[in-house]
Amino acid sequence: MGTPIHTVVFDIGGGAGNGNRVKAVQTGGPSGGCLPVDKFDLPIDFDVLYQAGSMVGSGGMVVMDEETCMVDVAKYFLTFLQDESCGKCLPCRLGIDRMLEIITDITEGRGKPEQLDLLEELADTVAQTALCGLGKTAPNPVLSTLRYFRPEYEAHINEKTCPAGVCKALITYSIDPDKCNGCGVCLRACVYGAITGTKKQVHIIDTQLCQKCGICRSECKFDAIRVA
Amino acid sequence: MLQYVNVNIDGAIIHATKGTSVLDTALEYGICIPHLCHVPYLSDIGACRLCIVEHVVNGRSNVTTSCTLNVEEGMVIMTNTDRIRKLRRNLAELLVAQAPNSRAIQDIALRCGVREVRYPFRNEDCVLCGRCVRACTEVWKARAIGFVGRGKDRHVDYPFGIRPDFCKQCGTCIQICPMTIPPCGGPMKPGEERLCGDCESQLIIADETVGSCVWCKLGEGFACGRYV
Repeated sequence: MGTPIHTVVFDIGGGAGNGNRVKAVQTGGPSGGCLPVDKFDLPIDFDVLYQAGSMVGSGGMVVMDEETCMVDVAKYFLTFLQDESCGKCLPCRLGIDRMLEIITDITEGRGKPEQLDLLEELADTVAQTALCGLGKTAPNPVLSTLRYFRPEYEAHINEKTCPAGVCKALITYSIDPDKCNGCGVCLRACVYGAITGTKKQVHIIDTQLCQKCGICRSECKFDAIRVA
Repeated sequence: MLQYVNVNIDGAIIHATKGTSVLDTALEYGICIPHLCHVPYLSDIGACRLCIVEHVVNGRSNVTTSCTLNVEEGMVIMTNTDRIRKLRRNLAELLVAQAPNSRAIQDIALRCGVREVRYPFRNEDCVLCGRCVRACTEVWKARAIGFVGRGKDRHVDYPFGIRPDFCKQCGTCIQICPMTIPPCGGPMKPGEERLCGDCESQLIIADETVGSCVWCKLGEGFACGRYV
Protein backbone atom coordinates (compact mmCIF):
# COMPACT_ATOMS: atom_id res chain seq x y z
CA MET A 1 0.00 0.00 0.00
CA GLY A 2 1.34 3.38 -0.96
CA THR A 3 4.12 1.96 -3.14
CA PRO A 4 4.26 3.66 -6.54
CA ILE A 5 3.17 1.49 -9.46
CA HIS A 6 6.53 1.83 -11.25
CA THR A 7 8.34 0.32 -8.25
CA VAL A 8 6.15 -2.78 -8.49
CA VAL A 9 6.28 -3.02 -12.27
CA PHE A 10 9.94 -2.20 -12.98
CA ASP A 11 11.88 -2.83 -9.77
CA ILE A 12 10.04 -5.83 -8.35
CA GLY A 13 8.59 -7.18 -11.58
CA GLY A 14 11.50 -6.36 -13.84
CA GLY A 15 9.56 -4.61 -16.59
CA ALA A 16 8.59 -6.16 -19.91
CA GLY A 17 10.50 -8.98 -21.56
CA ASN A 18 12.03 -8.93 -25.07
CA GLY A 19 13.12 -5.32 -24.60
CA ASN A 20 9.61 -4.06 -25.31
CA ARG A 21 8.32 -0.88 -23.75
CA VAL A 22 5.64 -1.16 -21.09
CA LYS A 23 2.42 0.46 -22.24
CA ALA A 24 -0.12 0.05 -19.46
CA VAL A 25 -0.96 -1.76 -16.28
CA GLN A 26 -4.37 -3.20 -15.57
CA THR A 27 -5.21 -3.27 -11.88
CA GLY A 28 -8.06 -4.75 -9.92
CA GLY A 29 -9.14 -7.70 -11.99
CA PRO A 30 -11.72 -7.63 -14.79
CA SER A 31 -13.69 -4.71 -13.34
CA GLY A 32 -10.60 -2.60 -12.88
CA GLY A 33 -9.13 -0.16 -15.33
CA CYS A 34 -5.99 0.27 -17.40
CA LEU A 35 -3.50 2.95 -16.41
CA PRO A 36 -0.94 4.32 -18.90
CA VAL A 37 2.79 4.69 -18.20
CA ASP A 38 2.51 8.38 -17.29
CA LYS A 39 0.26 7.40 -14.35
CA PHE A 40 2.90 5.02 -12.95
CA ASP A 41 3.90 7.56 -10.30
CA LEU A 42 0.58 7.01 -8.54
CA PRO A 43 0.78 5.14 -5.24
CA ILE A 44 -1.24 1.95 -4.96
CA ASP A 45 -4.07 3.27 -2.84
CA PHE A 46 -7.85 2.88 -2.86
CA ASP A 47 -8.78 6.53 -3.41
CA VAL A 48 -5.95 7.42 -5.77
CA LEU A 49 -6.58 4.50 -8.11
CA TYR A 50 -10.33 5.10 -7.98
CA GLN A 51 -9.86 8.70 -9.06
CA ALA A 52 -7.59 7.59 -11.89
CA GLY A 53 -10.42 5.40 -13.22
CA SER A 54 -9.23 2.06 -11.92
CA MET A 55 -9.38 0.33 -8.54
CA VAL A 56 -7.37 -1.84 -6.20
CA GLY A 57 -9.97 -4.61 -6.42
CA SER A 58 -8.41 -8.05 -6.17
CA GLY A 59 -4.94 -6.51 -5.93
CA GLY A 60 -3.86 -8.20 -9.15
CA MET A 61 -1.85 -6.40 -11.81
CA VAL A 62 -1.56 -7.23 -15.48
CA VAL A 63 1.30 -5.39 -17.17
CA MET A 64 0.94 -4.89 -20.90
CA ASP A 65 3.61 -3.94 -23.44
CA GLU A 66 3.29 -2.31 -26.85
CA GLU A 67 2.22 -5.56 -28.49
CA THR A 68 -1.12 -5.42 -26.64
CA CYS A 69 -4.08 -3.71 -28.27
CA MET A 70 -6.11 -1.79 -25.69
CA VAL A 71 -9.35 -2.17 -27.65
CA ASP A 72 -8.78 -5.91 -27.64
CA VAL A 73 -8.14 -5.79 -23.88
CA ALA A 74 -11.46 -3.99 -23.32
CA LYS A 75 -13.18 -6.58 -25.51
CA TYR A 76 -11.63 -9.47 -23.59
CA PHE A 77 -12.73 -8.11 -20.20
CA LEU A 78 -16.22 -7.31 -21.47
CA THR A 79 -16.58 -10.88 -22.71
CA PHE A 80 -15.66 -12.11 -19.26
CA LEU A 81 -18.07 -9.68 -17.56
CA GLN A 82 -20.88 -10.67 -19.89
CA ASP A 83 -20.41 -14.26 -18.77
CA GLU A 84 -20.40 -13.17 -15.14
CA SER A 85 -23.52 -11.01 -15.35
CA CYS A 86 -26.55 -12.60 -13.71
CA GLY A 87 -28.93 -10.99 -16.18
CA LYS A 88 -31.43 -9.57 -13.72
CA CYS A 89 -31.16 -5.88 -14.37
CA LEU A 90 -31.49 -4.27 -17.74
CA PRO A 91 -28.41 -1.97 -17.90
CA CYS A 92 -25.97 -4.75 -17.05
CA ARG A 93 -27.53 -7.42 -19.26
CA LEU A 94 -28.22 -5.28 -22.33
CA GLY A 95 -25.61 -2.58 -21.68
CA ILE A 96 -22.60 -4.93 -21.58
CA ASP A 97 -24.01 -6.75 -24.59
CA ARG A 98 -24.27 -3.53 -26.60
CA MET A 99 -20.84 -2.29 -25.48
CA LEU A 100 -19.37 -5.60 -26.61
CA GLU A 101 -21.24 -5.27 -29.90
CA ILE A 102 -19.79 -1.81 -30.52
CA ILE A 103 -16.24 -2.83 -29.52
CA THR A 104 -16.44 -5.94 -31.72
CA ASP A 105 -17.50 -3.69 -34.58
CA ILE A 106 -14.49 -1.47 -33.92
CA THR A 107 -12.00 -4.35 -33.79
CA GLU A 108 -13.41 -5.84 -36.97
CA GLY A 109 -13.16 -2.62 -38.92
CA ARG A 110 -16.84 -1.66 -38.99
CA GLY A 111 -16.51 1.13 -36.42
CA LYS A 112 -17.87 4.61 -37.01
CA PRO A 113 -16.57 7.79 -35.32
CA GLU A 114 -19.90 8.54 -33.62
CA GLN A 115 -19.82 5.12 -31.95
CA LEU A 116 -17.10 6.31 -29.57
CA ASP A 117 -19.40 8.91 -28.02
CA LEU A 118 -22.21 6.37 -27.87
CA LEU A 119 -19.86 3.90 -26.17
CA GLU A 120 -18.85 6.47 -23.58
CA GLU A 121 -22.45 7.51 -22.89
CA LEU A 122 -23.58 3.90 -22.62
CA ALA A 123 -20.72 2.99 -20.29
CA ASP A 124 -21.60 5.95 -18.08
CA THR A 125 -25.28 4.93 -18.02
CA VAL A 126 -24.45 1.35 -17.03
CA ALA A 127 -22.07 2.53 -14.31
CA GLN A 128 -24.71 4.75 -12.75
CA THR A 129 -27.84 2.65 -13.04
CA ALA A 130 -26.86 -0.99 -12.63
CA LEU A 131 -28.27 -2.90 -9.68
CA CYS A 132 -25.16 -4.42 -8.11
CA GLY A 133 -21.43 -3.87 -7.87
CA LEU A 134 -20.62 -5.97 -10.90
CA GLY A 135 -22.75 -3.83 -13.18
CA LYS A 136 -21.56 -0.59 -11.61
CA THR A 137 -17.92 -1.43 -12.26
CA ALA A 138 -18.38 -3.40 -15.49
CA PRO A 139 -17.80 -0.38 -17.79
CA ASN A 140 -14.44 0.39 -16.12
CA PRO A 141 -12.34 -1.44 -18.74
CA VAL A 142 -14.11 0.54 -21.46
CA LEU A 143 -14.09 3.89 -19.69
CA SER A 144 -10.43 3.73 -18.64
CA THR A 145 -9.15 2.62 -22.04
CA LEU A 146 -11.29 5.30 -23.72
CA ARG A 147 -9.90 7.88 -21.34
CA TYR A 148 -6.21 7.07 -21.70
CA PHE A 149 -5.95 5.30 -25.06
CA ARG A 150 -8.50 7.12 -27.19
CA PRO A 151 -6.01 7.58 -30.11
CA GLU A 152 -5.86 3.79 -30.38
CA TYR A 153 -9.65 3.56 -30.75
CA GLU A 154 -9.52 6.36 -33.32
CA ALA A 155 -6.82 4.53 -35.30
CA HIS A 156 -9.09 1.46 -35.44
CA ILE A 157 -12.03 3.53 -36.65
CA ASN A 158 -10.56 6.18 -38.91
CA GLU A 159 -7.48 4.50 -40.35
CA LYS A 160 -8.72 0.91 -39.99
CA THR A 161 -5.41 -0.16 -38.51
CA CYS A 162 -4.49 -1.81 -35.26
CA PRO A 163 -1.33 -0.07 -33.98
CA ALA A 164 -0.39 -3.05 -31.82
CA GLY A 165 -1.06 -5.58 -34.59
CA VAL A 166 -3.55 -7.68 -32.64
CA CYS A 167 -6.99 -7.19 -34.21
CA LYS A 168 -7.02 -9.78 -36.97
CA ALA A 169 -9.45 -8.03 -39.29
CA LEU A 170 -7.25 -4.95 -39.48
CA ILE A 171 -3.78 -6.43 -39.99
CA THR A 172 -1.95 -8.15 -42.83
CA TYR A 173 1.16 -10.28 -42.57
CA SER A 174 3.95 -9.81 -45.08
CA ILE A 175 7.58 -10.87 -45.42
CA ASP A 176 10.36 -8.30 -45.41
CA PRO A 177 12.46 -9.15 -48.51
CA ASP A 178 15.58 -7.60 -46.97
CA LYS A 179 15.54 -9.79 -43.87
CA CYS A 180 14.23 -13.08 -45.33
CA ASN A 181 16.98 -15.47 -46.35
CA GLY A 182 14.67 -18.25 -47.51
CA CYS A 183 15.34 -20.73 -44.74
CA GLY A 184 11.85 -22.23 -45.10
CA VAL A 185 10.97 -22.43 -41.42
CA CYS A 186 7.85 -20.33 -41.86
CA LEU A 187 6.82 -22.37 -44.91
CA ARG A 188 6.88 -25.59 -42.90
CA ALA A 189 5.28 -23.96 -39.85
CA CYS A 190 2.29 -22.45 -41.69
CA VAL A 191 -0.76 -24.60 -40.99
CA TYR A 192 -2.80 -23.10 -43.82
CA GLY A 193 -0.22 -23.46 -46.61
CA ALA A 194 -0.30 -19.73 -47.19
CA ILE A 195 3.46 -19.27 -47.60
CA THR A 196 5.15 -20.11 -50.89
CA GLY A 197 8.77 -19.90 -51.97
CA THR A 198 11.81 -21.97 -52.82
CA LYS A 199 14.89 -22.43 -50.70
CA LYS A 200 17.29 -19.48 -50.53
CA GLN A 201 14.64 -17.29 -52.19
CA VAL A 202 12.45 -14.69 -50.50
CA HIS A 203 9.17 -16.27 -49.44
CA ILE A 204 5.73 -14.71 -50.03
CA ILE A 205 2.56 -14.84 -47.93
CA ASP A 206 -0.70 -15.34 -49.81
CA THR A 207 -3.03 -12.89 -48.04
CA GLN A 208 -6.09 -14.77 -49.31
CA LEU A 209 -5.05 -17.96 -47.54
CA CYS A 210 -3.43 -16.35 -44.49
CA GLN A 211 -5.53 -16.78 -41.33
CA LYS A 212 -3.34 -14.36 -39.32
CA CYS A 213 -2.51 -16.94 -36.66
CA GLY A 214 0.99 -15.51 -36.14
CA ILE A 215 2.82 -18.85 -36.07
CA CYS A 216 5.20 -17.77 -38.85
CA ARG A 217 6.11 -14.66 -36.91
CA SER A 218 6.95 -16.58 -33.76
CA GLU A 219 8.96 -19.18 -35.74
CA CYS A 220 11.01 -16.72 -37.81
CA LYS A 221 14.54 -16.37 -36.42
CA PHE A 222 15.32 -13.28 -38.51
CA ASP A 223 12.35 -11.09 -37.56
CA ALA A 224 11.38 -10.95 -41.22
CA ILE A 225 7.59 -11.21 -40.81
CA ARG A 226 5.98 -7.78 -40.69
CA VAL A 227 2.56 -7.01 -39.26
CA ALA A 228 0.81 -3.91 -40.54
CA MET B 1 -52.65 2.52 13.05
CA LEU B 2 -51.00 3.94 9.96
CA GLN B 3 -47.88 5.93 10.53
CA TYR B 4 -46.95 8.79 8.29
CA VAL B 5 -43.65 10.35 7.26
CA ASN B 6 -42.89 13.55 5.40
CA VAL B 7 -40.86 13.16 2.23
CA ASN B 8 -39.72 15.79 -0.23
CA ILE B 9 -40.32 14.65 -3.80
CA ASP B 10 -39.43 17.23 -6.46
CA GLY B 11 -39.85 19.98 -3.91
CA ALA B 12 -43.32 18.89 -2.80
CA ILE B 13 -43.59 17.87 0.85
CA ILE B 14 -45.66 14.69 0.77
CA HIS B 15 -47.39 13.09 3.72
CA ALA B 16 -46.68 9.47 2.86
CA THR B 17 -47.68 6.22 4.51
CA LYS B 18 -44.74 4.58 6.23
CA GLY B 19 -43.62 1.39 4.54
CA THR B 20 -44.63 2.30 1.01
CA SER B 21 -42.14 2.77 -1.78
CA VAL B 22 -41.15 6.13 -3.21
CA LEU B 23 -42.61 5.07 -6.57
CA ASP B 24 -46.03 4.29 -5.11
CA THR B 25 -46.04 7.53 -3.15
CA ALA B 26 -45.08 9.58 -6.18
CA LEU B 27 -47.67 7.94 -8.42
CA GLU B 28 -50.37 8.39 -5.82
CA TYR B 29 -49.47 12.04 -5.55
CA GLY B 30 -49.49 12.49 -9.33
CA ILE B 31 -45.77 12.64 -9.99
CA CYS B 32 -44.90 10.70 -13.12
CA ILE B 33 -42.08 8.17 -12.88
CA PRO B 34 -41.99 5.80 -15.86
CA HIS B 35 -41.81 2.15 -14.87
CA LEU B 36 -42.09 -1.28 -16.44
CA CYS B 37 -41.46 -4.14 -14.03
CA HIS B 38 -43.48 -2.52 -11.22
CA VAL B 39 -47.03 -3.86 -10.80
CA PRO B 40 -48.96 -2.51 -7.79
CA TYR B 41 -49.97 -5.88 -6.32
CA LEU B 42 -46.62 -7.62 -6.86
CA SER B 43 -43.33 -7.31 -5.03
CA ASP B 44 -40.71 -5.05 -6.59
CA ILE B 45 -37.42 -6.43 -7.88
CA GLY B 46 -35.91 -3.34 -9.56
CA ALA B 47 -35.06 -5.17 -12.77
CA CYS B 48 -36.02 -2.65 -15.43
CA ARG B 49 -34.29 0.33 -13.72
CA LEU B 50 -36.59 2.78 -15.51
CA CYS B 51 -37.98 4.22 -12.30
CA ILE B 52 -34.58 5.62 -11.24
CA VAL B 53 -34.59 8.77 -9.11
CA GLU B 54 -31.96 10.88 -7.42
CA HIS B 55 -31.88 10.33 -3.68
CA VAL B 56 -30.00 13.10 -1.87
CA VAL B 57 -28.14 11.88 1.21
CA ASN B 58 -25.83 14.27 3.09
CA GLY B 59 -25.64 16.55 0.08
CA ARG B 60 -24.64 13.76 -2.29
CA SER B 61 -27.13 12.39 -4.75
CA ASN B 62 -27.33 8.68 -5.46
CA VAL B 63 -29.14 7.22 -8.43
CA THR B 64 -31.41 4.43 -7.27
CA THR B 65 -34.66 2.78 -8.26
CA SER B 66 -37.71 4.30 -6.58
CA CYS B 67 -39.64 1.01 -6.52
CA THR B 68 -37.18 -0.59 -4.11
CA LEU B 69 -36.66 2.53 -2.00
CA ASN B 70 -39.00 2.90 0.98
CA VAL B 71 -40.04 6.33 2.22
CA GLU B 72 -38.29 7.67 5.30
CA GLU B 73 -38.73 10.82 7.30
CA GLY B 74 -36.99 13.84 5.79
CA MET B 75 -36.01 12.10 2.57
CA VAL B 76 -35.18 14.29 -0.45
CA ILE B 77 -36.00 12.77 -3.85
CA MET B 78 -35.68 14.29 -7.31
CA THR B 79 -37.42 12.45 -10.11
CA ASN B 80 -36.95 14.65 -13.11
CA THR B 81 -33.46 16.14 -13.23
CA ASP B 82 -31.42 16.37 -16.42
CA ARG B 83 -29.19 13.57 -15.21
CA ILE B 84 -32.12 11.24 -14.53
CA ARG B 85 -33.84 12.08 -17.80
CA LYS B 86 -30.67 11.29 -19.74
CA LEU B 87 -30.05 7.99 -17.94
CA ARG B 88 -33.70 7.00 -18.32
CA ARG B 89 -33.62 7.81 -22.03
CA ASN B 90 -30.52 5.67 -22.52
CA LEU B 91 -32.12 2.76 -20.66
CA ALA B 92 -35.33 3.04 -22.67
CA GLU B 93 -33.26 3.15 -25.84
CA LEU B 94 -31.57 -0.13 -24.87
CA LEU B 95 -34.99 -1.61 -24.12
CA VAL B 96 -36.67 -0.57 -27.36
CA ALA B 97 -33.67 -1.67 -29.42
CA GLN B 98 -33.93 -5.11 -27.84
CA ALA B 99 -37.69 -5.60 -28.18
CA PRO B 100 -39.41 -3.05 -30.43
CA ASN B 101 -42.33 -5.32 -31.17
CA SER B 102 -44.64 -4.16 -28.39
CA ARG B 103 -46.86 -1.17 -27.87
CA ALA B 104 -45.89 -1.03 -24.21
CA ILE B 105 -42.17 -0.83 -24.95
CA GLN B 106 -42.70 1.73 -27.72
CA ASP B 107 -44.80 3.86 -25.36
CA ILE B 108 -42.18 3.68 -22.63
CA ALA B 109 -39.48 4.72 -25.10
CA LEU B 110 -41.62 7.67 -26.17
CA ARG B 111 -42.39 8.64 -22.59
CA CYS B 112 -38.69 8.53 -21.67
CA GLY B 113 -37.75 10.79 -24.57
CA VAL B 114 -36.19 8.37 -27.05
CA ARG B 115 -36.26 10.03 -30.46
CA GLU B 116 -33.73 7.89 -32.28
CA VAL B 117 -32.31 4.44 -31.69
CA ARG B 118 -28.55 4.25 -32.16
CA TYR B 119 -28.23 0.48 -31.85
CA PRO B 120 -29.17 -2.16 -34.41
CA PHE B 121 -32.63 -3.55 -33.62
CA ARG B 122 -33.11 -7.06 -32.35
CA ASN B 123 -36.54 -8.62 -32.39
CA GLU B 124 -36.56 -10.35 -29.03
CA ASP B 125 -39.78 -11.62 -27.48
CA CYS B 126 -38.97 -11.17 -23.81
CA VAL B 127 -37.49 -8.25 -21.87
CA LEU B 128 -37.19 -10.25 -18.61
CA CYS B 129 -39.25 -7.77 -16.59
CA GLY B 130 -40.33 -10.69 -14.41
CA ARG B 131 -43.99 -9.72 -14.21
CA CYS B 132 -45.19 -13.19 -15.23
CA VAL B 133 -42.87 -14.98 -12.83
CA ARG B 134 -43.92 -12.81 -9.89
CA ALA B 135 -47.63 -13.04 -10.72
CA CYS B 136 -47.44 -16.82 -10.91
CA THR B 137 -45.43 -17.07 -7.72
CA GLU B 138 -47.10 -14.41 -5.58
CA VAL B 139 -50.71 -14.22 -6.75
CA TRP B 140 -51.42 -17.89 -7.49
CA LYS B 141 -48.60 -19.43 -5.42
CA ALA B 142 -48.19 -21.81 -8.33
CA ARG B 143 -44.46 -21.34 -9.13
CA ALA B 144 -45.08 -22.90 -12.51
CA ILE B 145 -42.64 -20.60 -14.28
CA GLY B 146 -39.36 -19.09 -13.21
CA PHE B 147 -36.12 -17.64 -14.46
CA VAL B 148 -33.73 -20.15 -15.97
CA GLY B 149 -30.08 -19.53 -16.77
CA ARG B 150 -28.01 -16.44 -16.17
CA GLY B 151 -26.55 -13.52 -18.06
CA LYS B 152 -27.34 -13.66 -21.75
CA ASP B 153 -29.02 -17.05 -21.38
CA ARG B 154 -31.52 -15.93 -18.76
CA HIS B 155 -35.06 -16.70 -19.84
CA VAL B 156 -38.47 -17.59 -18.41
CA ASP B 157 -39.36 -21.25 -18.56
CA TYR B 158 -41.16 -24.13 -16.86
CA PRO B 159 -39.12 -26.30 -14.51
CA PHE B 160 -36.89 -28.42 -16.78
CA GLY B 161 -38.82 -27.06 -19.76
CA ILE B 162 -41.88 -29.26 -19.19
CA ARG B 163 -45.27 -27.82 -18.22
CA PRO B 164 -45.92 -29.05 -14.68
CA ASP B 165 -49.33 -30.15 -13.33
CA PHE B 166 -49.49 -27.16 -11.00
CA CYS B 167 -49.70 -24.80 -13.98
CA LYS B 168 -53.46 -24.46 -14.32
CA GLN B 169 -53.14 -22.50 -17.55
CA CYS B 170 -54.88 -19.56 -15.94
CA GLY B 171 -53.30 -17.16 -18.41
CA THR B 172 -52.26 -14.54 -15.84
CA CYS B 173 -48.72 -14.57 -17.17
CA ILE B 174 -49.99 -13.73 -20.65
CA GLN B 175 -52.36 -11.00 -19.46
CA ILE B 176 -49.68 -9.25 -17.46
CA CYS B 177 -46.92 -9.50 -20.08
CA PRO B 178 -45.97 -6.17 -21.68
CA MET B 179 -44.91 -7.92 -24.87
CA THR B 180 -48.35 -9.29 -25.77
CA ILE B 181 -49.73 -5.93 -26.97
CA PRO B 182 -48.63 -5.46 -30.60
CA PRO B 183 -47.68 -2.02 -31.88
CA CYS B 184 -50.57 -0.03 -33.35
CA GLY B 185 -49.29 -0.59 -36.89
CA GLY B 186 -49.29 -4.37 -36.45
CA PRO B 187 -46.41 -6.65 -35.51
CA MET B 188 -43.06 -5.73 -37.05
CA LYS B 189 -41.29 -8.35 -39.10
CA PRO B 190 -37.57 -8.96 -38.57
CA GLY B 191 -35.68 -6.30 -40.48
CA GLU B 192 -38.56 -3.83 -40.40
CA GLU B 193 -38.27 -2.77 -36.77
CA ARG B 194 -38.48 0.93 -36.15
CA LEU B 195 -39.21 3.40 -33.40
CA CYS B 196 -42.94 3.96 -33.64
CA GLY B 197 -43.32 7.50 -32.33
CA ASP B 198 -46.87 7.84 -33.65
CA CYS B 199 -48.20 8.86 -30.27
CA GLU B 200 -45.83 11.79 -29.96
CA SER B 201 -48.82 14.13 -29.92
CA GLN B 202 -49.79 12.58 -26.58
CA LEU B 203 -46.64 14.03 -25.11
CA ILE B 204 -47.31 17.70 -25.82
CA ILE B 205 -49.30 18.15 -22.68
CA ALA B 206 -46.87 16.02 -20.67
CA ASP B 207 -43.93 18.18 -21.74
CA GLU B 208 -45.62 21.35 -20.55
CA THR B 209 -46.22 19.95 -17.11
CA VAL B 210 -42.88 18.30 -16.66
CA GLY B 211 -42.77 15.49 -14.17
CA SER B 212 -46.43 15.36 -13.29
CA CYS B 213 -48.85 12.66 -14.29
CA VAL B 214 -51.41 13.93 -16.77
CA TRP B 215 -53.13 10.59 -17.24
CA CYS B 216 -51.50 10.30 -20.61
CA LYS B 217 -52.89 7.50 -22.74
CA LEU B 218 -49.37 6.07 -22.93
CA GLY B 219 -49.77 4.62 -19.48
CA GLU B 220 -52.40 2.17 -20.69
CA GLY B 221 -49.84 0.53 -22.91
CA PHE B 222 -47.25 -0.23 -20.27
CA ALA B 223 -49.82 -0.79 -17.53
CA CYS B 224 -48.75 2.26 -15.57
CA GLY B 225 -49.56 1.89 -11.88
CA ARG B 226 -52.37 4.41 -12.21
CA TYR B 227 -54.26 2.29 -14.71
CA VAL B 228 -54.12 -1.09 -13.00
